[in-house]
Amino acid sequence: MKKNLSLPIIILLFWSLFPLLWQLYTSFCTPEALTHPLEIIEHRWTLENYRQILKSDPPFIRYLFNSILLGITTTLLTLVFSLPAAYGLVKIKPYKAKLIRIILFGIALFPYVLLFLALLEIARDLNIGNNILMLSIPYSALSMPLAILLLTSALKDIPSELEEAAKLEGLNLAQRLKWILIPLIAPATSSTAILVFIFSWNEYPIALTWLSNPDLLTLPVAIARIAGSSVYSVPYGAYAAATVLGALPVLLIVIIFQKQIISGLTQGAIKG
Amino acid sequence: MIGLLILPAALLIILIFGTPLIRYIWLSFHASSVITGLVPIANKGANWQRLINDQRFWQDSFQTFRFAALSVSLELFIALAIALLLNQKWRGRNLVRAITLLPWALPTTVMALGWRWIFNTPYGPIELIVNLIGLDQFNILSNPNTAWLATVLGDVWKTTPFIALILLAGLQTIPQDLYEAFKLEGGSNKEALFKITIPMLKPYILLSILFRLAQAFGVFDLIQVMTGGGPAGSTESLAIYAYLNAMRFLDFGYSSTIMIGSFILIVFSSIFSIYLFNKFKNIQGYSR
Amino acid sequence: MKPKVLFVISILISSFTFVANKSVAKTSPSKHINILMPAPFADSTKDLINKFNVENKDNIIINVTRGPLETESVSDLAISSLMLEKSPFDILLIDVTWLPKYAAAGWLSSLDKWITQEDLNKIAIGAQKGNKFKNKVYRWPFVADMGLLYWRKDLMEKPPRTNNELIKISKELIQKKKVKYGYVWQGRQYEGLSCVFLEVLYGFGGEWLDENGAIHLDKQPSINAAKWLKKLIKDGITPKAVTNYSEPESLQLFESGEVAFMRNWPYAWSELQKPSSVVRGKVGVTTMVAEIGNNPTSTLGSWGFSIIKTSKNPQDAFKVIKYLTSIKSQKHLFLKYGYTPISSEIFKDVDILKNSPIITALYKGLTVSEPRPQTPLYAQISDVLQRHLSEILTGDGEVSETMNRAHSISNQILQSAGSNK
Repeated sequence: MKKNLSLPIIILLFWSLFPLLWQLYTSFCTPEALTHPLEIIEHRWTLENYRQILKSDPPFIRYLFNSILLGITTTLLTLVFSLPAAYGLVKIKPYKAKLIRIILFGIALFPYVLLFLALLEIARDLNIGNNILMLSIPYSALSMPLAILLLTSALKDIPSELEEAAKLEGLNLAQRLKWILIPLIAPATSSTAILVFIFSWNEYPIALTWLSNPDLLTLPVAIARIAGSSVYSVPYGAYAAATVLGALPVLLIVIIFQKQIISGLTQGAIKG
Repeated sequence: MIGLLILPAALLIILIFGTPLIRYIWLSFHASSVITGLVPIANKGANWQRLINDQRFWQDSFQTFRFAALSVSLELFIALAIALLLNQKWRGRNLVRAITLLPWALPTTVMALGWRWIFNTPYGPIELIVNLIGLDQFNILSNPNTAWLATVLGDVWKTTPFIALILLAGLQTIPQDLYEAFKLEGGSNKEALFKITIPMLKPYILLSILFRLAQAFGVFDLIQVMTGGGPAGSTESLAIYAYLNAMRFLDFGYSSTIMIGSFILIVFSSIFSIYLFNKFKNIQGYSR
Repeated sequence: MKPKVLFVISILISSFTFVANKSVAKTSPSKHINILMPAPFADSTKDLINKFNVENKDNIIINVTRGPLETESVSDLAISSLMLEKSPFDILLIDVTWLPKYAAAGWLSSLDKWITQEDLNKIAIGAQKGNKFKNKVYRWPFVADMGLLYWRKDLMEKPPRTNNELIKISKELIQKKKVKYGYVWQGRQYEGLSCVFLEVLYGFGGEWLDENGAIHLDKQPSINAAKWLKKLIKDGITPKAVTNYSEPESLQLFESGEVAFMRNWPYAWSELQKPSSVVRGKVGVTTMVAEIGNNPTSTLGSWGFSIIKTSKNPQDAFKVIKYLTSIKSQKHLFLKYGYTPISSEIFKDVDILKNSPIITALYKGLTVSEPRPQTPLYAQISDVLQRHLSEILTGDGEVSETMNRAHSISNQILQSAGSNK
């Protein structure tokens, strides 16, 4: 059995990792090494690409910080809106809830890229362009349909008798939330939160149009820009270094939270 | 009280999803470009007439459609294999599962340029291997017949983990005793795949198709960074065309028309794929 | 539940407004002038700007935003900021092709109140072009840029002057195994391809869009120009991969010593003189080739400064422009970065003539340079041309048929946008 599997596992690992490892390799190469890949040359390895990225103006760390800040506010905002909505959906009449869930599902499927022009106009009319925190408004709205669906399915799993019993015990809504509902949906909430965070971390077209101030760029936009920022040669080395630095946080998130991510995705699959 | 819980989310969703659609529909009946000084002026159906006669729109629709169709089918196929692999018990499975997830979690723009570098002629690894074998250069990104395949590969690499996880979830709902009973009746592993696994996975497959088809239809980041729509417009998607019309040509009326047009196409193709899927489902159900 | 949610929301909103206010209220006694520049310009003007800021004349502080390198991405960035009507910039460094579009959109201030005809006359002939829209000056040139032919002095005595000579020399050198390829240019489907084509087109005596707004892509010179580029690839003089090359890739290949000729902008010169360059000291620069009887023509790619209408200090912004385009600044940028000057005076400067081996070639190039069609719809028609050229270069279709198609589609766009010829 085990013997049978080792080949497919190696293929899978190669498939998933090769492009990333190639970036890692590139990020440590001198420009000469990149243009003479098969020859033996003196200066093959360098940290210069990283130095260049970290010392740029504004420093790369700034973009990481922007993306993290935006990710956190988006996640919080999404949960603040989605949790009550999901609770509401469990409590209203089932046929209404079902209709709303179908609509939400349809919206969740919508390729949001198409919205960028109108969202740009909204940003202009409300005067909220070029503001990292305000960007979390469209971001959270965009991730809300899926978040509500995930949270609704988690809340539906809680036997209603449990809450009824608590009600009979004389616990009010706030107490019920604290002692029953929140602990029971905590896993679903955290996996939703991570999915929302990753969405926000990766979003490109809206950040591209909403942010023109260089200090406010998010990681995907900044990286796309670094890629085209040197006239002198193909800047793949510096770019690869930026990729590696930008990928590290995601790498950590995936490794630490893989259970939550997987349960989040699969929960949605089972009940969506 | 309960309605009030739902209201804020509903309002925000309507603001971000609803108003744009209405605005686009309105703009699609107006000329709003550099020539009009960016002020919308009603132009009856001129935009729509232009859209219907616009070769580039239909070419992009075709391109978007074939991109979506090929990448979604490849993704399903590979994802099923990955899901089957990850569904078995072996040491180090959790680590491999986390690694499998990585491509999905990374920003598209990050890897899109990575792919451009990997496909680079003559320094990328693919051309290096081709060279070592002694073949002619591939030039995959500079050939309009092959460039779109490279973008498909980028998309498949990135989104397969997502489908694999959905299918994995499906696999875990299939009771083991079903397989045991099937084997007792003399069925082989291979037969079990087609007689039990795939039929039981159907709802998950449909879910993946719907999700990915719509996303692939709106493909933007990957194409913009990897090829910019070229060569010869061969990789241009509808979203790229809409973006160009808005941000580069400053023709907001026509850009809106393209977006509404794409939206209509997406709805139709989703309905069509559900219809196809149901047909397929019936045939399979029969043979069971 | 409700009060708690409201509480959280109010905290979020107040933190939004707090941060929003904080980012707006940058109080400082000096007036700040923000400039958006493509990355390389931002890097090269650093010295000048530091100097200005230290002296702090008229209490003005210049902030430079380092944009992307790719021309189109800088434009995307500028446009999205202008569309937001919340542009953080006072001055944009814009490409010659954007000017009609930006001016027509009403985003720029006319510079007429600050400049005289005399000021204009001091600018070299080529650099005078492409700064006006509807007879008003909207842009002050900063750096001139034009297509140049780079050739290998170690492989030939003098550079080719005609299309056929270029092919002949290339073929000989390839045969002798001196180089792998003859001529490398920019063949990717992007703006650079339009620039390359325009030069070849003029070399064949043709025209793209005339003064009356008529398109000429279906005419014989256009078809011949496209055929010539295709032939270069077909004959192996130009590598097949050129159809995915922009400037850096071309430069990289030429720098490796495997090519005899390259079409590129002036910036490539100093790159080729770097110690890492294999062809260092072996490169000459001249104007493009042309058919016998036609004049060589370079595509004008100049950059210049425009002031945004929403700028709160246009007067000060113009002072900044004056400073950055002064004779002194131009000299500095030329000597240090090889930026082609725009004032005629500098091309005659004895010091410069002594120090720069290519200044004469640059002046020649500038004198024969022509801007691309000056219409607000340039981006669309250039896009159509690029698509069809790319199709010609990468496909097997009939060249004249494809060019005819490009012609009629360009016409459709001009008409449907209401620009009547």
